[in-house]
Amino acid sequence: MALEQLSDVVQRCQARPDDSYTTEDHDVFTIAGRTCIEEGNSVQVLSIILDEKNQEIVRSMGWNLLPPLIQVLLKKDNKNLPQCLAIFNHLLETCRPKELLIGLLEQLEQDDPDTIAESVHLLLNPLQKVLLCLGSRKASSLGMTLSSVLDQVAKLPLPHTKDQEEDDVFSLCRCCTELIAFIRPFVQEVRLDLLNSEELSESRNNVAGGQDKEDELRTELLKFCMKTLSHPLLEVQLKDPDTLAVSPLRNFATEILNTLSAIGESLTSLVYQPLLKRKQLPGFLEEEVRYPKESLASLAHLVFVHHLAADTFPSVYNPVFCLRCNMEHTCLLLSRTEETRIQKGLELYEKSLVRVVDGSLPADLLEIKTFLTVSQNLVKVMTICPRHDLRIKGLKVFQLSIDKFDTEAKYNFFQYMLKTSGHSGVEGYIIKNIKNQIDLALQPGNSNTWFEGVHLLPLLRKVLSLPDGPETDLLQYLDRVMESLNLLRYLVIRDKVTENQTGIWTELYKIEDTFMKPLRVGLNMSRAHYERELHNTMESKKDKAKEESMLSVSVGDEKLPNMTSQSQIQALHSALHTFDMIESVLVRIEELTDVRENL
Amino acid sequence: MAAVPTRDWSDEQLKSDDLPKKDIIKFIQDNAAHSFLNEHKLLGNIKNVAKTAKKEQLIIAYNQLFESKRFKGTEPVEEVTEQVKAVKIEEKPKEVKTEVVDEGPPKYTKSVLKKGDKTNFPKKGETVSCWYTGTLEDGTVFDTNIPTAARKKKQAKPLSFKVGLGRVIRGWDEALLTMSKGETARVEIESEWAYGKKGLPESKIPPNAKLIFEVELVAVD
Repeated sequence: MALEQLSDVVQRCQARPDDSYTTEDHDVFTIAGRTCIEEGNSVQVLSIILDEKNQEIVRSMGWNLLPPLIQVLLKKDNKNLPQCLAIFNHLLETCRPKELLIGLLEQLEQDDPDTIAESVHLLLNPLQKVLLCLGSRKASSLGMTLSSVLDQVAKLPLPHTKDQEEDDVFSLCRCCTELIAFIRPFVQEVRLDLLNSEELSESRNNVAGGQDKEDELRTELLKFCMKTLSHPLLEVQLKDPDTLAVSPLRNFATEILNTLSAIGESLTSLVYQPLLKRKQLPGFLEEEVRYPKESLASLAHLVFVHHLAADTFPSVYNPVFCLRCNMEHTCLLLSRTEETRIQKGLELYEKSLVRVVDGSLPADLLEIKTFLTVSQNLVKVMTICPRHDLRIKGLKVFQLSIDKFDTEAKYNFFQYMLKTSGHSGVEGYIIKNIKNQIDLALQPGNSNTWFEGVHLLPLLRKVLSLPDGPETDLLQYLDRVMESLNLLRYLVIRDKVTENQTGIWTELYKIEDTFMKPLRVGLNMSRAHYERELHNTMESKKDKAKEESMLSVSVGDEKLPNMTSQSQIQALHSALHTFDMIESVLVRIEELTDVRENL
Repeated sequence: MAAVPTRDWSDEQLKSDDLPKKDIIKFIQDNAAHSFLNEHKLLGNIKNVAKTAKKEQLIIAYNQLFESKRFKGTEPVEEVTEQVKAVKIEEKPKEVKTEVVDEGPPKYTKSVLKKGDKTNFPKKGETVSCWYTGTLEDGTVFDTNIPTAARKKKQAKPLSFKVGLGRVIRGWDEALLTMSKGETARVEIESEWAYGKKGLPESKIPPNAKLIFEVELVAVD
């Protein structure tokens, strides 16, 4: 039935020119033709398509047959496969590229991962062929194609482990590899054109009209590279050659970098872009769209952490300059919440810091806002990132950054952190660092004015204080309080009263008033409070009739069980032990200072 | 304010062991301006001050007090924050931040292989473009941007950057400022003005490596 309709419409149109075909002709051909293929009559369709008399018709309407054809090819339906493949290839040769493009792109849209990978695999070559036929008009079509392909690839699950990458169950790696082959002729075209245009004119700013087309092509390739740098490259963990000798993803990343170079984008300019003022190049994309910040950060990570394209990267840059540029990238990555971004941000920062000599970064670097923002982001990672290993790494990188500052910068940084971190653990950590710096300064030959001498006292005053006076919650601020006490104890032992290098002895009377006495009061109050709580709890435990809590906590849909009195008692004991611990250091300090007084 | 305090103790009395340090300290603390006390480290708990100050210092301070007449109420502004005073006293000069003070001879040498035009010398902040090859002392080439026959595939461009701003290793910054357009020079840079103790492992530059560059300055703008 369908076959007859198809034969009819073909016969009707045979002798006529294509601009005389009616809409009805088109519709009948399309519907009948599709039905024939779906019903398995591909042999007959093939002979119609190949018939010399029908070539005008095929050129005009043939592309409408693509949907069912591609379905057959995707399903690998063996019976009809050879004929459908033959029809497909003939259509590619005969039909108009623009229409073929539409038909092929439509078929790229699939839903489940398996079909997506298969359709990419099937259609990339035909798409390439069709695009190459478009001549100088190909740029926007290429852009559209690349965009569609990347959208599809983005739906594929990513391999995370080495085994997953090797197995490539969802064919993401294969798609990436095929994409590189796909863009190759277009990259080549741009590259040759750049070479020619350089020969023709000295300065690249002379953009003649004819250059616009090539610029468009170049821009589409640039857009593509930038997109891939975000996805999948920023999402996956590349494996080193030692871990995985042949890594399709690493190759893909390397090829993307090579492509950027080939189309005339200097890798150094891209990586250092945050600090370089680029000339506004003529083109139809804004800077920020042309070079998305996240893509540049991904690029920096590939270059500095994975050392891709290392042999083309000049070895003349100042490590401090590299650090400053990479700070911008790091800042971006660390301000995101996705763990992939945070991990890469930490790695990039670490790699940049390691190249700098300890104690060499000057204080004016801290005036660059980014440095402070990065430190604040690090604090967030260290304190609230859900992943334990990232918290640990965050702390490690935090300390590494401190080690690289010179003495004045460390001083300013500690002040800044004490003022802004808002977290007792971080403050405690900073105070420990201060103690280490004082210890260093007191060693012969290391004397400086920041951690002894005139600047130390203002810093000490900030450290040796209680946030809320005697009412300070000692449990909440435990880390900070303990480190402050440790520091004070260290000072009264280390700095002899007769030398008073740090000034602590002349300051002591103030510290007693602002720190030690309120702490003593606070301890007494807290201890009294908790002892009473403990007593009450143990009393009511005897009663057994209780469990009337005014508060309840729900997680998800489940209400958490109330704390048992056993746990409550344990917690209260633990609190009391903590107060004992604080007090023991305080008492020791009082002993040390009294002994000296009574000398 | 109050009447000028009288000088009750003679030098002999001051030196005598009968007069305890604490008394002298108390007197000075009661009568001297805050800034005076600070300068002489006489602030705070008398017991503590007695521990840290020697008798001779106290005598000197006592005498200075009467000489300078810096009694309580004579300072126009008594209430100044410690921090500001501390800074004032030391009068620490603002440290030169960027480049280190010129100490010692430059840590690089340059020999001209081909003369330049001797007129176009780059100034700090200008963009220079160079072809270069970098080798280690043993001859290993660790970096170059000069295209060879084998590297036809990649288009090579001269390296461009703003000179004199610390974007490149110091040896490069210093050497390029002495070169003129068209000049080719051999520049040997000691490690302190190159990559120092860290080196650049991923670029085959070991720690403490002296680097040798052949540089051609092609453009200055």
